Amino acid sequence: MPSTASEPQALTLYAQMVLIRVLEEELQKLCDIGEGADLHFNKGQEAIAVGVVAALRPTDYVVAHHRTIAHAIAKRVPLEPLVAEVLGLPGGLCGGRAGEMHLSDPPHRFMFSFQLVGTCVPVAAGLAWAVKNYQKTDDIVVVFHGDAATSNGQWHEGLNLAAVQKVPLLLICENNGLAGNVTPKYYQPVPWVEERVSGYGIRHCRIDGNSVQGVYDAVQQVGAAIRQMGKPFFLECMTTRLSKHKQGQGDIRSKEELAELALRDPLLQEARRLGLPHEQSDDVFCEAEEQVELAIAAARGEVVEAGASG
Amino acid sequence: MRAPLKADPFSRNHLIRDAIGAALYDAMKADPAIHLFGEGAEIKMHFDAPQIEKELPDRAHTLPISEDGNVNFAVGASLLGVKPVVDIITADFLYRAMDSICNTAAKLNFVQVEGEPPRTIVIRAEFLMGGPTTGQRPEALFCHIPGLNVVVPSTPRDAYGLMRTALATPGVTIFFEDRMIPDSEFAGEDLEYSGPVPLGVGRLRQLGGKGTVTVLSYGLARPLMEKALRDWRMDVDLSIKLSADLIDLRSLYPIDWGMIKFYLARNGNLLIIEPDVRYGGIGAEIAATICEELPHVKIKRLGVLRATIPANPALHGTMLPTEQEIIDAINSF
Repeated sequence: MPSTASEPQALTLYAQMVLIRVLEEELQKLCDIGEGADLHFNKGQEAIAVGVVAALRPTDYVVAHHRTIAHAIAKRVPLEPLVAEVLGLPGGLCGGRAGEMHLSDPPHRFMFSFQLVGTCVPVAAGLAWAVKNYQKTDDIVVVFHGDAATSNGQWHEGLNLAAVQKVPLLLICENNGLAGNVTPKYYQPVPWVEERVSGYGIRHCRIDGNSVQGVYDAVQQVGAAIRQMGKPFFLECMTTRLSKHKQGQGDIRSKEELAELALRDPLLQEARRLGLPHEQSDDVFCEAEEQVELAIAAARGEVVEAGASG
Repeated sequence: MRAPLKADPFSRNHLIRDAIGAALYDAMKADPAIHLFGEGAEIKMHFDAPQIEKELPDRAHTLPISEDGNVNFAVGASLLGVKPVVDIITADFLYRAMDSICNTAAKLNFVQVEGEPPRTIVIRAEFLMGGPTTGQRPEALFCHIPGLNVVVPSTPRDAYGLMRTALATPGVTIFFEDRMIPDSEFAGEDLEYSGPVPLGVGRLRQLGGKGTVTVLSYGLARPLMEKALRDWRMDVDLSIKLSADLIDLRSLYPIDWGMIKFYLARNGNLLIIEPDVRYGGIGAEIAATICEELPHVKIKRLGVLRATIPANPALHGTMLPTEQEIIDAINSF
């Protein structure tokens, strides 16, 4: 396919996924010793944020839900203030007031994220309205949400608003088949989320969200179409959350089930697809670990200084 | 005699609405970032502010009946510098948008990145007397939420001035339009639009004699208070002394504590008249604060019982404080 990421870029995308994985694992350790709040991790879902953002322009805007770390990294939000913010430290992007669930970094066009499920969708529709009608550029907005959000009124109102206002919005559903620990039989009466979308006259399709290359290819095409038509598009990305819903909560799934899901790990799949020799993959992990270690140390160092000077 | 004011939802005032239309028009001419959103936003301008429809047709945007989604949509637009005015229409419908107002809009400027300009959003709605779900006054609920300003102008002049200020003030302002004040209650300078009215500044409506009573009110209670004193003067023996400092709060958050305390220092008697449920209302907050800070002040409150509003507007009218109750309360100090 002509749109497929070239090999060097594919390596960059792989490295970005690894960075998200390593960062979240290190943050998990801090959570375990009580130095982080109840963070929400993306383990197993990294390919979506990374593939989507890579296929769009740096000037395109991102709006996210409450599981924000992957999207921020994909949008190249600087590591140190990001870490400081999710740990609630004063040196954070938002002064420690926003935390992981209300993170934003407008200079990097990471515009908004929100804890309440579904809120991000109408907010992103309004942002896309302003891009088209106020700023009058051909940038687009991408909003990430989960499958559970599609039961919420804000998701439906947001889709309706996006459709009637004809806004340049890419809706990405990270369908991990879970609402916290609740399974779709309690919230989704149709097999696929995209069936719900057709009621709003928004074009949609469903893809494998664990293939970073597949996501990248799909969004290259869809992004160009949105830019050209100035209308929303919905992409349902089937994925697997390999982490628990959040820190401090159990996981309803058995170890066996998780082990089976881990076979779909997007990092493993991509390393295999790229034919990465073990050492090279290890190098990518080592580099990410170094970056993360430095960022965490710097972020936490600021607090020590503030405490000492106070 | 109950129902002191005409309480007919089919003869709503227009002078306050005209003032809001004028304020929007003037502000929109001066600031291209201001856009109007809401259910029927375009048709509303057609009827209420034809100048906007004629000269700024691409600045009013009709959205579906999805109040909560519409406020969130406006929050999204504000991220790029748009200053949205979201029309929720009837005040009761604000309950549908409580999440987007209290959770999204009110938190927006708090969680943002250091150095980002604060966003400006105005959310407007009107008070009616139309029944259980079209006659409520939820202003006190919003005063409880950090991140929101709350204003209830009771004259065209203040409606104009407060809308101009809300649109020029970074932050989120809940702007209430009281359509239940008859147009006949506005006279003289109340009808002149003279410019912005600052947030958090009350207005002295009438100065009483020294050592009498400070009467606070807002919205529909402002003309109730004035009419009671007017009628009293016409009806009774002028040798009976009845005098009061009358204050229209206009802005419920921030509130003008300085003005309230200044007048209380003159007389030490406080009467609060609310057009709304007394229990947990604005008057309760004022009374509690004054009680803590100026314990010598005698305080009385008049307001509406915590009861569901009937569909018959005349019955709703009977829930409001009467002239006699107001006069009795003033005399009782």
